[in-house]
Parts: sequence; structure tokens; C-alpha cells
Amino acid sequence: MTVLAILIAAAPLAGPAAALAGARARLAALIQSAGAAVALGCAIALLTQLTGGHPLERWDGFLYADPLSGFFLLTVAGVTLLAALGSVSYISAQEDSGELTSFQVKLYFTFFGLFAALMLASLETGNLGLLFVLVEASTLASAALVGLEGRARSLEAAWKYVIISSLGVTIALAGTLFVFYSASALHPGSNLALTWPYLLAHASQLTPQSLRLGFLLAVVGYGTKVGLAPMHTWLPDAHAEAPSPASAMLSAALLNTGMYAIIRFLAIAHARLGGTYPRAVLLSFGFASIVIGALFMVRRGNFKRLFAYSSVEHMGIIAVALGFGGLLGLYGALLQVLNHALAKTVLFLSSGDVSLRYQTKEAAHVSGLLTAVPVTGGALLLASFAVLGSPPFGVFLAELTIVRAGFAAGSPAFPLLLLALLGVAFFAFARTTTAMVTGDPPRHDRGELSAISAGHSPRSWSVAVSATPLILGLVALLVLGLWIPAGLDSVLRDSAAVIG
Amino acid sequence: MQYLSNSSAAGVLLDLCGAVILLLAFACLASKLFNRYVAYYGAQSVVLSIAAATSAVAFHSAELWILAALTLLVKGIAIPFAARRVLVRRLALKRDAAMSTGLSTSLVAGGALTAFAYLVTRPALLPHGTAAAAVVPLSTAVILLGALTMVVRRHTVAQLIGWLIVENGVFLGAITLVATFPFIVEAGIFLDIVAGVLIMVVFVSGLTRQLAAASAGELKELRG
Repeated sequence: MTVLAILIAAAPLAGPAAALAGARARLAALIQSAGAAVALGCAIALLTQLTGGHPLERWDGFLYADPLSGFFLLTVAGVTLLAALGSVSYISAQEDSGELTSFQVKLYFTFFGLFAALMLASLETGNLGLLFVLVEASTLASAALVGLEGRARSLEAAWKYVIISSLGVTIALAGTLFVFYSASALHPGSNLALTWPYLLAHASQLTPQSLRLGFLLAVVGYGTKVGLAPMHTWLPDAHAEAPSPASAMLSAALLNTGMYAIIRFLAIAHARLGGTYPRAVLLSFGFASIVIGALFMVRRGNFKRLFAYSSVEHMGIIAVALGFGGLLGLYGALLQVLNHALAKTVLFLSSGDVSLRYQTKEAAHVSGLLTAVPVTGGALLLASFAVLGSPPFGVFLAELTIVRAGFAAGSPAFPLLLLALLGVAFFAFARTTTAMVTGDPPRHDRGELSAISAGHSPRSWSVAVSATPLILGLVALLVLGLWIPAGLDSVLRDSAAVIG
Repeated sequence: MQYLSNSSAAGVLLDLCGAVILLLAFACLASKLFNRYVAYYGAQSVVLSIAAATSAVAFHSAELWILAALTLLVKGIAIPFAARRVLVRRLALKRDAAMSTGLSTSLVAGGALTAFAYLVTRPALLPHGTAAAAVVPLSTAVILLGALTMVVRRHTVAQLIGWLIVENGVFLGAITLVATFPFIVEAGIFLDIVAGVLIMVVFVSGLTRQLAAASAGELKELRG
């Protein structure tokens, strides 16, 4: 199991190795995809060994994996695979058109692989200090991706992202310290003992005052990475300015990694402080995020910003689900993590194709996608309905579970409010995406469009390459909406049991 | 884990270092010149390394000695030196005019935050009479002041210094307990800071080249 765990974090480094050895974008992206596929395979293998068995714990808890980490490893590795496949067409098209220099392509794959490897590694440690180190390092690697294009806009977004997230994660480190202080009554022989499993096992002896402060700081700090309102301000800019496959990684992998960190702190806080306090914290941040996300989606503008605000909204939904708690709430939260990740990856990857074709990120300038680029347009339409929670896709099932958990948790006001906000989000989001997909392609751009598509190698294999991750993601979403495999079900149950 | 009592020599020295670090954070908040920011940050890091050395003596910890040396070399010398060369001089930065509130307002806010830090961390959080109980409120106040600096200053370089002050505040809290984090983690934190400063310097330089003035107040393109 140890070998598997190491391989998961090391495999995505194949891409950087290839890029540094001088591979061109297409080859580097294919090697990156192969590395991600290896990571995904190892994550599945690790998960099958972890369910029902003992958690993996090595080197004083520096390496620690239980079903919860396994589940997040599966999600992040899956997203990495899809985003790497998406890079094959997107980045090589940008390289061919000269928008990215070969140095920038090299940088892209170096930081893409590092980013993925660091996120996967952060999901595999039981040491809360090392968790901080890896999360902060993944922030830096992804900031390089955001600023990759080097224009004023992308540098500005990257600056905003790196400074706000670094501050946030440093606050999370202060929170970690307070959690450690709360353990001072335990007199642990060595500080190596202060790992997550140790703290959870001795939760009843932690000092509540210090733990309360530590949990709040951790939620604020890692919540900055998750994009919980009001710490979400970096998120729309970074998502809009990063290359599209990197936006998919940010939205579907990075945000979930932050959520994973919050869940670890939640488990300790829940075990010592009971349900009320963590519930109040998570519901406040969660509903604030849903409201902010839904309201900003009403504005029609840059479609990548629209998707980014939808991420804010969905992270809010997950926080609310964690706040509702209970087996149902936690199950729903994790299901939502996986489904949102898949849907958002498809959305961002198809938005990459759209912005390559139309040379714009403004929703108002895009129409008739179904006529102009049927596969991308269809994927965009299906994924946007999936992300909004329409049946038969997985997000519907997850949100249904969360609303049920809300009713089971007591007051019906919260789940009803959640439903109302989901309705607002639905109309705000669908209003823009349906207008992009339907209608006629912009007439005056036709000549220009065909010129662009001619420049962008309309060979059938390249269409197939760019369609592969979209179709894979949509099929997975559809399957998860219709049927949760028994293996996944037991993983979700085991993970929910970890949180308590 | 063991505690220093606040009446022992090491405890008093640690407390004193904490107070000086807080004063330097205030000095940074109150100043308007870029090379002062860098100077105050450097001085703060030197005091921090003295604090780390103090707890290294008190706890007989070799790891804390290494951390003290690293703090002195990296935060006390290398980062201020590099910031002065690469940012302040090359970008010809002198006076920082981009503030979102007046100087006096931000100082009053700083005082209020310090009081708040005591309010939050004092009651029953830590065993009474320990050095940690005296230093943790100070370190919390330093964290809040660094964050305040980042909020009231709009210049990217000032925000970078603000983040480094927050980092110093966390580190001050960490060393009052015996090497709270294992050494690998502390080393990782150092690596993160260095990498963070590097990448931020790249962004600041790039932005300055493109916008002529790297004032976050002028970064208005992305809104909503």
C-alpha cells in the first residue's frame, strides 16, 4: 500500500519530466495524461485495499490514508486525468497559433504536474503541519499557471490569487497551532504524536476553548482556498485568466483539496465540541457562499467567471451539507464533491474549446454553439444542466440527498432556503448558457470563424482528442446519476463514518 | 510537552522579544517609505531569531537552533536584502501613497486589533503563568496587524511585506512551545516562504513592467 500511495503522488510528475526533456505540447500532454491515468489506477487500487481494512499509517503519520483520503484521491486523480487530456488539444492549439511560446508550454506542464502531485500528496498526510506545507506549495504552483499568459490581466489575477490564498493558508496554519495548543493537556511525549489520527483518538481530552478558535481559523483559512464567501474574491479572476484545463484543475481539484482539509478539522471539532458549533460555522459560510455565487451568476459577462461563481455556489452547498451532518449530510457532501468536480471539469474544458474557436470569453459574443461545434456545444449544454442539478445527472442525486439531510437535521427553514437559492442559481446560470448554445452562430464572424478553425487543425483526430475528456466526464456523471456502484457506496459510507 | 514559566529568564526574554516584534509590526503599519517597510521586517525577523535561540537554549533543542539560524539567514538577511535590491531599488519605489485609509485610522484599528487579540486568546486558553500564555496573544496581534497592513496598503510590495509579517506572527506562536511542528514541517514552511517570495517578486515585476505602477489600487480591470 505504501508503494501505491507514493506512486499516486509521483506519477503526475511524468508530465514535467517530459516537458523539461524538450517534448512538444502534444507529446507532453499525452505523457501527462498517462501519468494521471497511472495515479488514478493506483488511487482505485489503494481505495479497494482501504475499504473495510485498516488505514495506512507510516513514518509517524506523515503518510496516512483512510477511505476519506482515498475518496478525495480518486476525485483529484480523475480530474487531473480529464484536465491533462484536455490539455492535449488546448495547449497544442495555443502552441501552434503562437499564443504560447515553447518556454511557456514548458512552464505550463512543469507547474501542472507539480500542482497535481502536491495536491495528491496533501491528501495523503496525517500530519496537519505537513498538510499546510503541501497546500501552500500547491497554491504557489497553481499561481504560476494562472499567471502563465503573462498579460497584465493574468498577472493581476495571479497576484490577487497568490496573496489572498497565501494569507488564508497562513491563517489556517495559525488555526493548526491553536488545535495543537488544545492538545497540550495530553503531554504527548514527542510532537510527532500530534497527527490527525492521534488528535481524533484523544479528542475528548482537548481543551475546548482553544479548539474552538483553532477550528474557526482553519475554516477561514482553508475556506479561502475553497472559495467560501467572503474569502472567495480571488476565485473568479483566477479561474477566468488561467488556461482552461488549469481552470478545471483549480475548480475541480484545488477547491476540493481545501474542502478536504476543512473536513479533517471538522472531524476533530465534531468529536470534542459536539454538533452545534461546527454546524453554525459551516452553515454561515456555506449559505453566504451560495447567496454570493447565485447573485453574481445573474450578471451576464465572461462565461468562465460564470462557471467560477458556480463553483463558489457549489462549495457553499458542500459546506452546508457538512453543516447538516449526519450520515446523510456527509454522504451527500462527498457525492456532491465528486459530481461537481466532474461537471465543472467538462464545463471548463468545453469553455476552452469555445474560447479557442470564438476568440472571446464574453458570453454575449457566443451563440449557436450547437450548430458551429456540435460536440463542444452539446457537452457544454449537458454539463451546465448537470451542474445545475437536473436529473438524470449525479449532481441531482447529491443535492437531493443534501436537502433530505437538511430536513432530517431538524429545522425545515435551511433546506427550504437552500432549494430557493438553487432555483435562483438555476435560472441565472441557464439563462446565459442556453443563449450561448442555441441560435445561429454570429453571422459577421462566419468568415473569420472558418479561418480560425482552419488554423486550428480541424483534422478529425484532433476533434476526437478534444472530445474524449468531455465525453468521459459526461458518461461518468450520467452513470453516477443513475446508479452508485456498490464499491463507491461503501467508500462513501466509510468516509462519512471517518468524519463522525 | 513542557512549558516555560513566565518568570524564568528565558520566559521574560521571550516575552520581551514578542513585545518588540509587535512594536515593529506597528512601525511597519505606520511608515510610508518602502525601504522602511523592508528594514522593519528585517529587524523583526532578527528579533524573531533571537526568540527562537532563546527557546532553543531553554528547551535544549538542536532543531530550534537550526530554525533560529535559518530565520536569521533567510528572513533577517536574504529576503530584506533581495527585496531592497530587486523591488525597492530596481523599481525605484520611494513613498507609498496608495492607502485605503488614513495613517491615524489604521493605527487606531491596529490598537483595537491588538486588544481584540488579547480578548480572544487570554481567557483559559493556555495554562496560567506560562511564557506561552504571555506570547500567544502577542503573536496573534502580530498576525492581525500584518493582515491589516495588507488590507490598508494597496501597493503590491507593501502587501507582500504584510504577508511576511503574518508569517512571522505565526512563527512566534510556534516557537513558544517546544518545536510544535516536527523539523521537516518547519523546513517545509521555510521553503514555502522562499518559493512564495520568489513567485510574488516575479508577479510584482511583471505587473510593474506592464502597468508602470504596480499599485493594486489601480488593478481595476477585473471586477464583479
